[in-house]
Amino acid sequence: MTQQAPDDQAMAERIRLYIETQLPDASDLRLEAMERIAVGWSHETWLFDAHWTEGGVSKTQGLCLRRDPGNALLRHFSDLGVQFQVLRSLESTPLPTPKPYWYESDTSILGKPFLMMEKVAGTCPSPWGSAGRRFYAEAAERGTLPKSFTAALASLHTIDWEAAGLSFLGVPESGNDFALREVQKWCELVEISQQEPHPILVDLIGWLKANAPETQRLTLVHGAYRTGNLLIDNDQISAVLDWELQVIGDPMYDVAYVLTDLNREGSQLLSHLVERDAFFREYEQATGIEIDEAVCQYYGMLYQLRSAAFWMSAAGLYASGQSDDIRLARTAWSVPFVLEGAARALGY
Amino acid sequence: MSDYVQLAPDALLERIARTLKKEIGPAVEAVSPKTQAFMASVVLQKLAGQLRLADEHAAAGRRDLQELATELAGELDTASVDTPPSLRAAVHTVRHDLDTASVSGLIETLYATRSELGEERFASLIGRVRTRLRARIDREMVYAA
Repeated sequence: MTQQAPDDQAMAERIRLYIETQLPDASDLRLEAMERIAVGWSHETWLFDAHWTEGGVSKTQGLCLRRDPGNALLRHFSDLGVQFQVLRSLESTPLPTPKPYWYESDTSILGKPFLMMEKVAGTCPSPWGSAGRRFYAEAAERGTLPKSFTAALASLHTIDWEAAGLSFLGVPESGNDFALREVQKWCELVEISQQEPHPILVDLIGWLKANAPETQRLTLVHGAYRTGNLLIDNDQISAVLDWELQVIGDPMYDVAYVLTDLNREGSQLLSHLVERDAFFREYEQATGIEIDEAVCQYYGMLYQLRSAAFWMSAAGLYASGQSDDIRLARTAWSVPFVLEGAARALGY
Repeated sequence: MSDYVQLAPDALLERIARTLKKEIGPAVEAVSPKTQAFMASVVLQKLAGQLRLADEHAAAGRRDLQELATELAGELDTASVDTPPSLRAAVHTVRHDLDTASVSGLIETLYATRSELGEERFASLIGRVRTRLRARIDREMVYAA
């Protein structure tokens, strides 16, 4: 086992004891290469390899543990129990996702609810840093990963979600119910942040309610499909991660997220990776769904609300003392940037 | 603020931000506390900028809202068609309160009365509000950037 702080060692032992209860035929169980990875402000994540002997045979399984810290961003939308159920439902589909093993809501085991799933081979470079951007730029040059990016989204949007048992996520009514539900969801996060909304945000919300588009078809929607939320191995998407905002809804909601400027910081490539024309062509060919740019523009505006709500919620966590992470306090000054973008989009 | 501090509050915050960035942050070895030190420096720097401009921005904001309320009241008074009473009340509240909540209330009322106002009148009224909010967000971007 790699060298760890005392708290981490205690945690590792508790994890080991738990896995022992799940593998009654296993002996000599040990965990190796344990690392706690700091990604995002959501669930705490540990990666490790479990080694054991069973029936005289040595076995190894890479595992990923996600634990609910109780004060994570998006905690109002993201329940590990739901994530477990979603991953279970997706096991029978062609979409590459980690195999889920166990979910426990019993806080006596590891202190908080947690989910344990397969550690899938691959890396997940952050597109916000220079190293990550270089990684995606080089992958874009090679050309294989961009195709895999588009193909995985097409696969996600063509899943038979009813057959997969995903209706439990909630199925919007026909018409503009999906868009209005999303507007309402993010308005709730603004309320939860306990910060007074900026008048530009109020204007944006009014505009979004007045212009909500009708949904032409319902599919599974990931809700945050971009580089940084996708595991990559050998220039292929090896797993779609971050199942926190998934809904049954309009596939254009995901497409708009791919198209938005929010995820490419000035790069001509969508999500720092994919050429726009190629994305349109390959996505439409693989799904049979025509990309509706007007609807995507609407969802682009909805992402402005979502971003503002996200940053307000983050800053609110620090302000209310629920988190001591100063990075969250910093996000208060991200809100004006989002609102300035919204103002331009509204024609200010 | 203590009278014994010889620096203006914004200058004091900037000084502490510099110390965090140049001396404390680099001296911390552990990754997470180091990140926190540098982030604290960024937060203090932004706070300093916001504090320095606070009075000037507050005055500009009040002036903008006074002018907005006058413009809107004028447009409503000279209109040849009836104005929803809720909209008149919202404009009155802006003129009286001169705060964020009153502008947000006005915007909500504009959207709520949109069908009564008609598209042309709605666009004219919300356009006046947006002009003032454009000025406000431009001011906020000075210290957010």
